[in-house]
Amino acid sequence: MSDAIAYTTIRELGARYRTRELSPVEVTQALLARIAKLDPALHAFVTLTADRALSDARAAETALARGDARPLLGIPIAHKDIYCTRGIRTTGGSALLADWVPDEDATCVRRWQEAGVVLMGKLITHEFAFGIQFPGHRFPAARNPWNLDHVPGGSSSGSGAALAAGLVHGATGSDTGGSIRGPAAFCGIVGLKPTYGRSSRAGVLTLSWTLDHTGPMARTVEDCAYLMQPFAGHDPADPASSRAPVGDYVAALGCDVRGLKIGVPRNYFFDGVDAEIVQAFEEAMATLKRLGAEVRDVRIPTMDAAHSFLLILLAEAYAYHERDLREHPELYGEVLRERMMAGALVTAAEYTQAQRIRAQICAETAGVLREVDVLATPTTLKPATPFAVAHDPELGFPKSNMGPFNITGLPTLALPCGFSPTGLPLSLQLAGRPFEEEMVLRVGHAYEQATPWHTRRPAV
Amino acid sequence: MAGKELTLEELRARIAGAGVTIAEPRLGMVRKLLADALVHVRALDSRTIKTVEPAVRFEASHE
Repeated sequence: MSDAIAYTTIRELGARYRTRELSPVEVTQALLARIAKLDPALHAFVTLTADRALSDARAAETALARGDARPLLGIPIAHKDIYCTRGIRTTGGSALLADWVPDEDATCVRRWQEAGVVLMGKLITHEFAFGIQFPGHRFPAARNPWNLDHVPGGSSSGSGAALAAGLVHGATGSDTGGSIRGPAAFCGIVGLKPTYGRSSRAGVLTLSWTLDHTGPMARTVEDCAYLMQPFAGHDPADPASSRAPVGDYVAALGCDVRGLKIGVPRNYFFDGVDAEIVQAFEEAMATLKRLGAEVRDVRIPTMDAAHSFLLILLAEAYAYHERDLREHPELYGEVLRERMMAGALVTAAEYTQAQRIRAQICAETAGVLREVDVLATPTTLKPATPFAVAHDPELGFPKSNMGPFNITGLPTLALPCGFSPTGLPLSLQLAGRPFEEEMVLRVGHAYEQATPWHTRRPAV
Repeated sequence: MAGKELTLEELRARIAGAGVTIAEPRLGMVRKLLADALVHVRALDSRTIKTVEPAVRFEASHE
């Protein structure tokens, strides 16, 4: 199978299935061979489900022969290994759960399965979606297909690596402080963190209740829209799940951006950002202006205090892991264990003050979004970091441009907007009003169609 | 009330109070992690910022 097939879009793949030019079994077999060839160097997969994939592909072929037109029918995907999969081990990237086999699927897993996908396997995650695997860990860390010496981002590290390397056509991610958007940015792909409450977290391992989101990752905005559709909708099994009406995400892509107002929050989001990223971002804004959007500067004053969200994350993560941390500390990776323990040191008053800051940021951001349709920022401060830097235990938890949208729960898209002089991907972040996933997808798609970044491939 | 810097002494006191164990070589990392997260909370005048109410909200559509 050529690279072209490995990197084809979901819409194109579906069209070629329907004309019998390709079959799901052929594509699945070819991807399994590609995974066998490339993954020993990438470590994107923690569990490969070849038999299940071929079984799903044969079922998709039968359905196609019946005239089934579901857009995700026969599309090869894989799940971040914090999504529970019935009968398939779900490790959380942790020695603690290394052999755990859930007896139920996560809601999002079930919904994609009902949409007809082909499950290729489970993708490595940073340990419990929080701690990078250091050398010697039970599970090796995924590597960035654009440069194997650099991290693919995290915590949805395997999802980012597998998509960039053309091993799957879609993947699940989860995002507590940027874990969908960071790997999307570092791997040159697209990631959508939906509105808090839009997609179910039932059956997905918890990191921080009030910040956790689930969402799709893909290589194009359109692919993300196709993958998001079954994710959306109320799930009684997730207490945060919303009953807000669900839009038609693919249909929204047909609209242009003429007359839309794009706000650029100039405080906080540009502090410490590399010059090459700022330049790529400004060029992206110029492109959107040429497409007819109005771009204006905005200010969200309390955003400067956004890093306090880490207190919420640490405290909630410790609350979730407390018992295992006390009883089995040796089963947590080095550094992650101490990071988690730090949550025990946050006082109740500090946690509450952080929530008050959060409320103020939410209110100010909502006010700005009454004046503009979307917010645009650089996704990350730097391109993908070398492992040598990421493995410095003193690194801490650097300032993030993504955490603010976990605080606010707003729908946020990360998509490629250029490359560094060293050939690493750069990324644009777009955030919209609550439940306006269509708007961020629409703006992202318009930008993507006007630029070549999503067509570049790493030399794997 | 604690000062604005998170000192190693304060960190050790917090560890003892929480009843957890943090390896000595990792104290620097934990101190930095916590200190960075605390900067804005410690700079906050808690009288000037909104409350987080309502903690409970009833909406018919969510019943």
